[in-house]
Amino acid sequence: MTDGPTQPTDSTVRKTNSGAGRVLVAVYGIFALAATARASVQLLTKFEEAPLAYLLSALAALVYIVATITLARGTRASRRVALVAIIIELVGVISVGTLSVVDAEAFPRATVWSVYGIGYGFVPLVLPILGLAWLWHTRPDMP
Amino acid sequence: MIEALAYAVIALAGVAVIWGFVTAAINKPPGKAQLLFAAGLEIVTVVQSIIAAAKLAAGFRPVEMATTIGYLIGIVILIPIAWFWANAERNRFSGIVLAVAALAVLAMTLRLLVLWTPAT
Repeated sequence: MTDGPTQPTDSTVRKTNSGAGRVLVAVYGIFALAATARASVQLLTKFEEAPLAYLLSALAALVYIVATITLARGTRASRRVALVAIIIELVGVISVGTLSVVDAEAFPRATVWSVYGIGYGFVPLVLPILGLAWLWHTRPDMP
Repeated sequence: MIEALAYAVIALAGVAVIWGFVTAAINKPPGKAQLLFAAGLEIVTVVQSIIAAAKLAAGFRPVEMATTIGYLIGIVILIPIAWFWANAERNRFSGIVLAVAALAVLAMTLRLLVLWTPAT
């Protein structure tokens, strides 16, 4: 029963906003900024062009904002919200990515998630996977 | 936008990215020189945004005006936030946080160079 490093279960607090988690929060923060700016421009200046794509763009922005804040807080309650946000993010990037490839007509202008985030070096596709891995890595010990 | 200044930002940001990963690799938090360098990068970035804003005010019209303005504002807030975030918990990951922000500044400057084409 002693495979792997043994950790004291009582005093170990693995927070989502510590260590490598700080880099994750930084990357999420940049995407929160990028997606929010992009969605704002799209919704304010050319909403009629592609309402569905731009509403999804706004959803992406919201998801990144929530994930950034909840991962940065690192409390037990906030990591539950982070989990939901990151799952939505993963579903979003895969479905919007696939839709934008299969039905390009519905997505005439790029959003953060178009073609799995090709405009951002595919980071939007990798980020939710890293996020889930980090939540798993920092999971609280079961009582 | 002044091309030479943009390339200066790109070069400085590139050095900041590498520096951040180097201190992470040797398991050290960012040193004083590194933090000052990041501050220098921020100053040059701010100057770039001010000059670009002045050119917009003087009548230059890029193809995507709103996006350009968004980039000019967004690019100056990255390093200050990353600076705070990196210093709040100082370890090897602080350097990577600075590197990530510098990489974003680099990418945004490249994008700004493309955006900076006059509307016909």
